[in-house]
Amino acid sequence: MKYFDYLRLALKNLSRQKSRTVLTIIAITVGSLSLILMTSLVIGIRQSLIDQFKNLGAFNLVTVIKDPNSVDSNNLMGTGGDTSEGKMINDTTLTEVEKINHVAAATPIISVNIGTVRLAGQDKKTWPNVVAFDPRSDVFTVPIIAGRNLTTSDMDKVVVGSRFLDDFGYGGKANDLIGKKVILNSKMGGGGSGVDWGPPPEKPPANADDSWYKAQGNKGVDIEAEIVGVADNGTVGDGSSYINIAWARRLNTQVSWQQDKNQPKTGDQNSYYQPTMTLVKNDNFLDQGYSSIILKVDDTANLQSVASAVSKLGYGAMTAQSMIDQINKILTMVGVVLGVIAGISLFVAAIGIINTMIMATYERTKEIGVMRACGATKSNIRRLFTFEAALLGFWGGVFGLLISFILGLLAKTLVQKYGASLGNLPINNIGNFPWWLIVGVIAFTTFVGMISGLYPAIRAAKLNPVDALRYE
Amino acid sequence: MIELKSVSKSYQMGDDTIHALDGVDLVVKDGDFLAITGPSGSGKSTLANIIGGLDEPDGGKVLVNEQDISKLDDKTLSNYRNHEIGFVFQTFNLQPTYTALENVMIPLIFAGISSAERKKRAAECLKAVGLADRMAHLPSQLSGGQRQRVCIARALANNPKVIIADEPTGNLDSKKGEEIVGILKELNRQGKITIIVITHDPSVARQAHRVINIKDGRIS
Ligand SMILES: Nc1ncnc2c1ncn2[C@@H]1O[C@H](COP(=O)(O)OP(=O)(O)O)[C@@H](O)[C@H]1O
Ligand SMILES: [Mg+2]
Repeated sequence: MKYFDYLRLALKNLSRQKSRTVLTIIAITVGSLSLILMTSLVIGIRQSLIDQFKNLGAFNLVTVIKDPNSVDSNNLMGTGGDTSEGKMINDTTLTEVEKINHVAAATPIISVNIGTVRLAGQDKKTWPNVVAFDPRSDVFTVPIIAGRNLTTSDMDKVVVGSRFLDDFGYGGKANDLIGKKVILNSKMGGGGSGVDWGPPPEKPPANADDSWYKAQGNKGVDIEAEIVGVADNGTVGDGSSYINIAWARRLNTQVSWQQDKNQPKTGDQNSYYQPTMTLVKNDNFLDQGYSSIILKVDDTANLQSVASAVSKLGYGAMTAQSMIDQINKILTMVGVVLGVIAGISLFVAAIGIINTMIMATYERTKEIGVMRACGATKSNIRRLFTFEAALLGFWGGVFGLLISFILGLLAKTLVQKYGASLGNLPINNIGNFPWWLIVGVIAFTTFVGMISGLYPAIRAAKLNPVDALRYE
Repeated sequence: MIELKSVSKSYQMGDDTIHALDGVDLVVKDGDFLAITGPSGSGKSTLANIIGGLDEPDGGKVLVNEQDISKLDDKTLSNYRNHEIGFVFQTFNLQPTYTALENVMIPLIFAGISSAERKKRAAECLKAVGLADRMAHLPSQLSGGQRQRVCIARALANNPKVIIADEPTGNLDSKKGEEIVGILKELNRQGKITIIVITHDPSVARQAHRVINIKDGRIS
């Protein structure tokens, strides 16, 4: 018997009980649809994460951090303030790591001590994560979506993260934000203290007491900066805003009124009143160093060797690879959970196929007898029923793909319409199937159909032809 | 030539053993026209099915051209049914959703014959039984006599050497029955096909070359 004839007969038989066939296929469609949606969701999340890494150029970067034992940091690019213990990172470190083979460029990173940020003329405050880097080095590709990147001469300029667009009421209007002023508020040092930028802090008056210092401390120091650009924070980004490292050094330098050390102490100990006070600068950098150094490696292939060279120097080294590994681990777990859910619905669908096929063998007992009398072998009968069941699975897979493809198109139009607010959901990946998913899903549902049809088919093949012919 | 040597078949019904066939010896020569008669439940169908390779005997030998078919594997036996035997049933057993032509094509599918060739041969067979103008009809659109002719055409499809008809006229009136027997007779005379027909009808049995009577599983 020819294989094409199995297909022909199976199609014919399935079309005989149309409603039952359709219902069975719907069940498999639901099963395959959940399988597809869950798979493409996981693929989508993974892809959008990796894409964002790529956009940041993260696959060529090694981040040098203080703690050699710190394996994970919840800060993706290692730009956050690494307050952990470890070897101090300073300019000596910079020259050291720049000498490592395959290091193409390096930029130090300072995490700036900023409390809040607000747009000039607005009251609403948010909490920024201000990262400073060296614009001279081409290590750090800030993903600019409006305005321009920082230059080495930018002092009171900031590239704000796209996270702030909504906060400032500029959602979707990034360009309108360029040229606006923001007020960064630093509370460094408390009353009588400020930063090495702008006017000096208010000098404690002669009658300054605890409450004066408290009030001054709460007020902090306002630092004005002009927005020159907006950077895409993406999904994985830390919502950072960026400034030039030279300016950050100034902002991290504390300026405070202190009693002249040569003056003898007078008055009682609890009073802050000092007869003569002078402004003293204290560069925090000297005892804190850089937060980290980001190295650009000439080729992704050399990422690991650079990372281990950094480790040898006694620092911690983080690469995107370790992040990707972590993400993959989590996504695999998510995938397994989602897979189990999809598996359950497919399992239910498989029971539907078994039920349908058992009913078919009962209904067609006499027909099986006739076919056997006409020369059908047991394996002919078995294959015929298995083929039918496999076809049910096949159509379920095909319709599942079709529906998810349509859902994908819908999602795309949704994304196009509502863009930014949905942008972080990887739903635009639904319907963007890699070929292996299409082939895999259809093969899998066909296989599930085949397996489900096996028992009814074997049962049908085993029927005694004489009994089958006698069956009413 | 078909030769049965002390063929027996029994069924266990609770504590009773029913001997459907009890040591049957029979020779059917090529080109023979044999009628099998006997009361209901005497073992006629069992005998016919064993000859046709549809049923297996418990004991004895069924030699077809000196080969014992009772020991064949499923594939070879199915092949034997497909190419050597054509079955005609009392209740026609046509596929209700298939047209006359499609019904006749069934044995050809299992013979692995191509679709175009199947159509051609099935059409010839329907023509041979006088249904050239009913090929696209469904069984429900045909009379009893016409249905039985489709059944004969199906039995003929693979050019069998033997046609086994189990009470082919049982569901037909006497006039239609005569027509069917006429066709079988013609196939035997012209086509040199061996015919084994089971019947209760003496007028049918009279047309045969030879009549055997079965009672309680034995030829009497
Ligand atoms: N599958 C079976 N199980 C039990 N008894 C059977 C079975 N098939 C046939 N028989 C018995 O075998 C005997 C012969 O049956 P059958 O050959 O059909 O008789 P006939 O065709 O002459 O009417 C009957 O008594 C019948 O009840
Ligand atoms: Mg009978």
